[in-house]
Amino acid sequence: MFQYNFMQNAFMIAILISILCPLIGMFLVLKRYSMMGDTLSHASFAGVAAGLMVHIHPILSAFCLTSIFGVLIEILRRHFKNYAELILVVILSLSVGIAITLISSGLVHANIDSFLFGSILTVTREDFYIVLLLSILSLIIISRLYHSLMFMIFDEEGAKISGINIKFINYTFAVLVAATISVSIRIVGILVISSLIALPIATALQLRKGFKTTLLFGILFSFIDIISGITISYWIDAAPGGVIAIMSVFVLAFVLFFQNHHFPFNIHLLNFKNMAKINNMTANEKRDSDGRRKFRIQSIFKPAWHQKYQTTKFTFETSQSEQRTINSGYSISKSAPRR
Amino acid sequence: MIHIKNMYFSYGQSSYILKNLNFSIQDGSYISILGENGSGKSTFIKLLLNLLIPTSGHIENTFTRTAYVPQRFESLNTQFPITIEEILTCYQKARHIPGKKIIDDSLSLVKMQDYKKALVGTLSGGQCQKIFIARALMGNPDLLILDEPSNGVDIKSQNEIYQLIKNLNQEKKITVICVEHNLKAAIKNSTLLYHIAQGVGHICNPQNYIREYLIENTGVENYVSI
Repeated sequence: MFQYNFMQNAFMIAILISILCPLIGMFLVLKRYSMMGDTLSHASFAGVAAGLMVHIHPILSAFCLTSIFGVLIEILRRHFKNYAELILVVILSLSVGIAITLISSGLVHANIDSFLFGSILTVTREDFYIVLLLSILSLIIISRLYHSLMFMIFDEEGAKISGINIKFINYTFAVLVAATISVSIRIVGILVISSLIALPIATALQLRKGFKTTLLFGILFSFIDIISGITISYWIDAAPGGVIAIMSVFVLAFVLFFQNHHFPFNIHLLNFKNMAKINNMTANEKRDSDGRRKFRIQSIFKPAWHQKYQTTKFTFETSQSEQRTINSGYSISKSAPRR
Repeated sequence: MIHIKNMYFSYGQSSYILKNLNFSIQDGSYISILGENGSGKSTFIKLLLNLLIPTSGHIENTFTRTAYVPQRFESLNTQFPITIEEILTCYQKARHIPGKKIIDDSLSLVKMQDYKKALVGTLSGGQCQKIFIARALMGNPDLLILDEPSNGVDIKSQNEIYQLIKNLNQEKKITVICVEHNLKAAIKNSTLLYHIAQGVGHICNPQNYIREYLIENTGVENYVSI
């Protein structure tokens, strides 16, 4: 399928989107503002309609209008402090109103379906260059603001006291969301863009890792969602947006299911080192009759379905910062959950 | 040193929350701010932190490195995916604090070095409070402002936290301002108490405060050993 130029373009754009969407989504989800993605994707719908009407590149017009609406959300947020979600409804109504009016009045003479549901066939090399430019700019800005954004979302008051310019960051972030949505609408489509912003992060959050690791897993899940979605949509000849959304939910369900069940690849192991450290410091540490230290870790270390005994060796630091290797077969097999 | 002179504060056009405060905080002192809910303690702290501007009067603050430990536990999202190291790194970057080992050093000060890679949601209330004290200590502050450090913390951890704050005050000569509901800790540790009631503040020394408090609440004047 890579012999076609449009597929090459689509995959190159897909890779950029799979990095950008979870980057923005991480901050939006943790800010409890996931629906902002949905609202701004509708704003981009109005932008696309306006662009097609006045013959400007639709991605650029979508970026401009989405940025304006993104900044407008931030301005209104201060007036409706306790009803932040109300602003999203206002902006969403305005955007959809503009888009539907422009399209239904016959002023737009182009196929807008490809923007609504996403399309591989219509992706051009020009689209790729615009997406590349916006993506590079967004990545540079996010890398510069990464720590400030993280601090602000975790502890806004603390960030303010530490001298972080909250207002500036909020406005910049609104424009970044706009840029991400604009570059994604070509492939993913306006209607399902929010799934790619929120779902890979929702999936990564199930692993209960630190900020950076969650973000990296979010990018990994996003990559899986979008690449598998485009490939399947190519073979079944369907719009990629829908397939990507289904794949996102499927991956989330997969992780959720196996997070709570025994599985050959034990996801719980990902948390193992930190938890062992914590158990070491708390009352979970016990000594046996020979004075050897034992650690209660049975709740974390679940054996895989095909294993009878744990033979894995694991290493962790004790409170004295010495390295200890414990053969899990000794201390865990007794307390391994019954099946 | 902080000098507060004839300070009034109100939110917008509403009545004054703080009225005619006159107060000096000397370098190296440990001050507890007491008062009922809604008495204006948190507003007073926000004024000291420059988050609010007095309606009239002025605050003269000569401290250059102010650190703040917020009241934490009710608002803390325990599901937030962030490690202790990441919390401290954010603070370090935001405050432009140099040094690669500064995170380890500040965690060692509160004896929490083993928790560097732990998620914030896995810590107990006391451990969490220690982490926020460690964060505040990163910039080598000369003024440490704490908002109810014992809130939601068990007795053992409370003792550890107050011992730590007292050590910082006495050994490192860090000036401490602590908003308190824990009367026992306030009287035990503070050099001075500042009581705010209905927007009006007055200074009292710890032993006198016990007497006044007892008279006001029980009608009996008696000596209580803390």
